[in-house]
Amino acid sequence: MSEVLESLFVLGTSHHATPLEVRERFALTQSQAHELQKMLHQHEGIRECLVLNTCNRLEIYGLADCIERVEEIRGLFCDKQNVSEELFNQYAYSHSNLETLQHVLEVSAGLDSQMVGETEILGQLKQAFAAAHDADCTGKVLNRLFEKSFQAAKEARTQTGITRGQVSIGNVVVDLASRIFGKLNGSRVLLLGSGEVSEKTAQALKSRGVGDITVSSRTFENAHKLAHSLGGAAIHFEDFNAQLEHFDIIICSTAAPNTLLHKEVIALTMKQRPERPCFLIDLAMPRDVDPAVEEVENVYLYNLDDLSSIANENLEARKAEIEKVREILNKHAWNLWLQLRRRELMRKV
Amino acid sequence: MFNEITMTDGTAFKVAAAVYGGAFLFALVVLLMRRAYSRTIMFALLCGGFLIQTLALNLRGAEIKACPLGNPFEIAQFLAWSLVLLFFIIGPAFRLRLLGGFTAGLATILSAGSFIIPSWDRAYPPGIFGGNHWIELHAALAIFSYGFFAILSLVSIMFLIQQHGLKTKQFKGIYRYLPSLQQLDLMAKRLLLTGVIVLTASLAFGAVFWVSNFELVPVYKLTATCLIWLGYLTVFILRIQEKLATRRHAIATIVLFVLAIASLRAVESARESVEPPAQGATIQIER
Repeated sequence: MSEVLESLFVLGTSHHATPLEVRERFALTQSQAHELQKMLHQHEGIRECLVLNTCNRLEIYGLADCIERVEEIRGLFCDKQNVSEELFNQYAYSHSNLETLQHVLEVSAGLDSQMVGETEILGQLKQAFAAAHDADCTGKVLNRLFEKSFQAAKEARTQTGITRGQVSIGNVVVDLASRIFGKLNGSRVLLLGSGEVSEKTAQALKSRGVGDITVSSRTFENAHKLAHSLGGAAIHFEDFNAQLEHFDIIICSTAAPNTLLHKEVIALTMKQRPERPCFLIDLAMPRDVDPAVEEVENVYLYNLDDLSSIANENLEARKAEIEKVREILNKHAWNLWLQLRRRELMRKV
Repeated sequence: MFNEITMTDGTAFKVAAAVYGGAFLFALVVLLMRRAYSRTIMFALLCGGFLIQTLALNLRGAEIKACPLGNPFEIAQFLAWSLVLLFFIIGPAFRLRLLGGFTAGLATILSAGSFIIPSWDRAYPPGIFGGNHWIELHAALAIFSYGFFAILSLVSIMFLIQQHGLKTKQFKGIYRYLPSLQQLDLMAKRLLLTGVIVLTASLAFGAVFWVSNFELVPVYKLTATCLIWLGYLTVFILRIQEKLATRRHAIATIVLFVLAIASLRAVESARESVEPPAQGATIQIER
């Protein structure tokens, strides 16, 4: 019997093997991705297709009348992006048939992501599928494939610990802040310095309901700029010490060579707010906060190493779940493979 | 109505203790597996234990024709019952994670622990409250306020565990599922206020009896009760003045609860020494 689904394929590049500077050359804007999808769909011999375009991966899923079409797609893509086929072939991968199924299931469950178990990719996959479906680029096979992959991802999430614990510094901070304050919408945040990590941390806190963010930096313009982007206010660097008592979460990331917050200052601040805890996050190197501050009652101090070790331990815990997830996904992949083969056979008959 | 029930109060108390124990074990096993337990299952188990314990207390009450608070066994059972009742009021409203598991633990200790010393459930003459409803209300309210203090000490223990986790940078296991420090601290404040109000009301009702039966209330019982009330009142005042907060507040409420439980012994011995003259035969309770 000839293989009925021999032309189900995925062709793409991802963060696994492709360095950032090369990925930048392959990157598509959303409109370019739609255009490519439309072009592929109009291509003779391609029955169904979907383009997944994220910052970490560019993948083309398709169902063609023969597997040789994949080579044509390579050429089409390289022409469109103006990159050499040699460069593309150096980093690109392709799978067909059952391997395609296994690949899409692993992508949707977050196994193939840079941060194992992250769920953002599932949302991106759903968006890409919705767009392809609306544009009539998908058919019975890809529809079934993606719907099943979403189900499998959900099952993997609920039956294993693949998404348990936070793996980014920003989200670890949000988790810790929630353990201290509960709901974060009433919490006031002070950013000391305008470093990139502290900005991302503040954004993570903002996404969880923090509405009151104040920025203070040696260069007031920088503070003002960052405050504006976060929807907060800026205060002069000379004034922050006098206002410490008003803040629940203080994120430090200045380039100051000496300690900014001493135990005595924090102890005095806490006397003015005995019932409200204070969460200090020191992301600076050298450190902005005296480690002895930790001894002050109701103060919780975490530095970059503490946060990284939490994120890494969570990541390791997630990695330990990979085999369990694979088992679930393989079961789904086999069932789906048999269903699709049966369906294609019926279609041909 | 209770005459038609074939189960004895003793059996019902045992079944209730077993159900509370089951609820606690369930919470423990799920937490050891590093998962969050189902609130629905915990609520159902505590509900089951509570209903059986209510039945047992009713059977006992119908037999002695008064609120069953005549010996240490009954006091422990009533305290466990008050604790679970308060959990039903507080739990769904404030959705404090793990409070059900902690409540099940303390309810098991109180209800099953009261079986360990058989002499606790000794028989006593009828009319323990001398037919005075004020003193019956005083006793019931006092134990009910202890229910508030019991749940307050649980909340304080949860606060100390969460704080320890945050200070020592622990983030796995139980720490992940405990409520936030602020939530626990706020709840402790509210429970302290309510407990102090209920205990004050209880003492006010008791004073009505005390004024007319001065000789029936021994000094050491009065002293122990007043000291506990003063202790909680002081902690409350210091809390309002923000002089006693968070960790020290949690430790103070736990210590006070231990003292409050210990003071029950003084209250009990007072009752033994001034047992009112028997109005009838001693009740032998079928267990």
